[in-house]
Amino acid sequence: MGRRRCRATGALPQAIATLSRSLPAGPSPEIFRRAKFDRPEAAPVLWQLLFRVLAPPAADSTWSSLAPEAQAQVVKSALHSLGYPRPVLAQFPEGSRELLLALSWLLARGPLLEQLLDKTRVQLGDQLPQFEALGSLGPPVLHVETEGPMDLRRVQWLMGKLRFRWRHLISSQQEQCTLLGKIHLYTSGCHSHQNLGHLSVTETEMLRDPESSQQLLQALECENTRLEAALEWRCCELVFWQWMDTVLDACPVEGPSVASQPTVLPMISEHGLGELELIEQELQALQEELQEVAESRRAAWEAQVRGLGRGPEWGTTRKALQESVERELAALQGSWEQSSRSDQLHRPHRLVRSKEGAPGPQGLRAAEVIRMLSAQEACLKRMLHQLQSQCQQELARLSGTLPDLIWILAPRH
Amino acid sequence: MSIVTVQLGQCGNQIGFEVFDSLFSDSHCSQGLCSKRENEAYQASCKERFFREEKNGIPIARAVLVDMEPKVINQTLSKAAQASRWKYGQHACFCQKQGSGNNWAYGYSMHGPRHEESIMNLIQKEVEKCDSLSGFFVIMSMAGGTGSGLGAFITQKLQDQYSNSLKMNQIIWPYGTGEVIVQNYNSILTLSHLYRSSDAFLIHENDVVHKICAKRMNIKQISFSNINQVLAHQLGSVFQPTYSSEGSFHYRRNPLGDLMEHLVPHPEFKMLGVRNIPQMSENSLAYSTFTWAGLLKHLRQMLISNAKMEEGINWQVRPPLSGLPPLGKMSVNKELHFNTSIANLVILRGKDVLSADVEAFKDPALYTSWLEPVDAFSVWKTQRAFNKYEKCAALVSNSQFLVKPLDMIVGKAWNMFASKAYIHQYTKFGIEEEDFLDSFTLLEQVVASYCNV
Repeated sequence: MGRRRCRATGALPQAIATLSRSLPAGPSPEIFRRAKFDRPEAAPVLWQLLFRVLAPPAADSTWSSLAPEAQAQVVKSALHSLGYPRPVLAQFPEGSRELLLALSWLLARGPLLEQLLDKTRVQLGDQLPQFEALGSLGPPVLHVETEGPMDLRRVQWLMGKLRFRWRHLISSQQEQCTLLGKIHLYTSGCHSHQNLGHLSVTETEMLRDPESSQQLLQALECENTRLEAALEWRCCELVFWQWMDTVLDACPVEGPSVASQPTVLPMISEHGLGELELIEQELQALQEELQEVAESRRAAWEAQVRGLGRGPEWGTTRKALQESVERELAALQGSWEQSSRSDQLHRPHRLVRSKEGAPGPQGLRAAEVIRMLSAQEACLKRMLHQLQSQCQQELARLSGTLPDLIWILAPRH
Repeated sequence: MSIVTVQLGQCGNQIGFEVFDSLFSDSHCSQGLCSKRENEAYQASCKERFFREEKNGIPIARAVLVDMEPKVINQTLSKAAQASRWKYGQHACFCQKQGSGNNWAYGYSMHGPRHEESIMNLIQKEVEKCDSLSGFFVIMSMAGGTGSGLGAFITQKLQDQYSNSLKMNQIIWPYGTGEVIVQNYNSILTLSHLYRSSDAFLIHENDVVHKICAKRMNIKQISFSNINQVLAHQLGSVFQPTYSSEGSFHYRRNPLGDLMEHLVPHPEFKMLGVRNIPQMSENSLAYSTFTWAGLLKHLRQMLISNAKMEEGINWQVRPPLSGLPPLGKMSVNKELHFNTSIANLVILRGKDVLSADVEAFKDPALYTSWLEPVDAFSVWKTQRAFNKYEKCAALVSNSQFLVKPLDMIVGKAWNMFASKAYIHQYTKFGIEEEDFLDSFTLLEQVVASYCNV
């Protein structure tokens, strides 16, 4: 026991140091130690770190100017929406031990380090804009309450403004495309890398302005440090998880509410089949549940349908129903395939202009991307159309309940 | 960001020329009252928007000229070539040998489809020469056949092909006692079609500009050239470069987009009127000085009393006091009424502009109940003087300015329609009575929306 602890004591600070080197603005090992003992001075640093990790990437500049209390609010709601099982974190600014547990939960549940490193990658090439996954959960939104009923015209006004800004965005993107095309054209033949053939904006900037190349170099070195730390971390993280077990034990025993919740804290102490068996069992249970529900619904439907006649009308109706169901199913399957195939789009890609017919090594061709995007667009349009007709039906139903209301549809242009 | 202008018909081409000329003269004017560097930035901004470079250095207007008769286009081209300070693109015009006979239906149903491909090709070529396209100006009149009918058709095609670009139609509102008998038919058909495909109408009334020439500029024999120059001055004072935001000294990149976002986001309210001040000929400029306070006071009263000119403003009209019930729904027949605004944009150019105080325009009583002044009012400024005017102010307003003229035109057209006068000339070319009825419905709706504001 003693010998093990002796070895662990040396390895632990190193492991924690590695972890903090790989995190953006990672706290010192001392902070971790203090957090274990729930010391208040460790809390603000950990709140900030969690905010950096959880805040939506696109809104970094505005969100980083939020007050610490507001940042804590964002952290709490993000953790909640991710399914963090422990009871709501203590009031800001205390509770450093809980914060430490939250951080390690995030580390354990998903490829957190990889995601963070990806967010802050240094890009040398011109990137394809990142496409959001269909139906992905957005970041936690702060709700704004409206003060009382609003005139419809004001809403229409605001919608119109939004549309204008949208169109402006598209024009700006088109402008960016044109200018990128020009840069690629003018610098063709300048790149040392055979496959690329021309410079990107960053590279052109480096040539024009040596100062910026220094900055780029620094950024690259910084990223390298973090990558090395992340690799090291993979080797020595076991020590960290053993230590986290002790942190969990150090928590005061909570009321029965905690015990009743299924402990999803996946302190991964051993990889392997144990996990897989669990998943298999869960899937089987889910399948049985689905079968039960499907059976009962089918039975109910049969009972309903038995009453209807079997005349020729029924035959045609049934055929029409079958066809529409098949169509819907095909559409669903289609959209499922789309989203799985279009995963490729979500990885970062460098834009390269090449001669037609030239053997492209790896990567997507523009035509393929356009095809995928068109398919996604068609799918979204179908969804929109469906939602619109649902809305119309609902409105028609509502207007039917008011006896003196005449329903005039706006003309379709 | 660049704007491509489409000049349609006799009116469109004549005015288009004056507009480009005015923009060019102003940007190369030596009396800009600002530093050399600022002047260069102003020039560059104006140039990017309206002109493009050619090898030998003479700027080329970003314009496409379209007419069904060759006469006016040839005149326009030769005028530009003569002055030789700027010119039109060599292959930027399209004309035929026959006119449209002041028949909207002929312009829309015959000329339109027949020449669609050629005209859209010309426009496409011009668009390709822009690094970034902000949108289109379509200059046209409402009363004739080519400008109005073909103009409506082309705007629709622009909407189909360039749905993300902005479209502003500069519409010349005909004289009330105009020469064309069917001008009211042409007008209502044009407006109703444009309402569906254009983003904004900037409306210039011939009667108003004529009066300005007569009373303020003391021109004895008023020709179309005089009128067009006043128009061009108004447009120039709106679209020449201005600073992008309060306290910035960079020129805004997309005035068309910013203007539309501030003034016409609501789909029912698209009609804009322009007022500018001072309205006097350049010759009298040297003898007058103005203060911003005086100019803005007059401009504000012009807005609320629906005055067209700087003189004869009715100072009796006052905004309704808050707390009292609103001054009843506006009746089109009342003489003394208050012009409620939906949104306003004031553009100030010249000396000491940063000290100009526009607080009076932010009075909530000027605006509708459903928009706050902070949303409804914007102001653009630049220190650089426009066209040698030491100080000048322009107002682009989305307000009840045009309700009365519109109502009058609709009324007259309806009277003619009720007796089926001249309808056969339209049905001959595919415009049915139902199309007329649709137009009446849409425009009545527009009038009602503006009245109930």
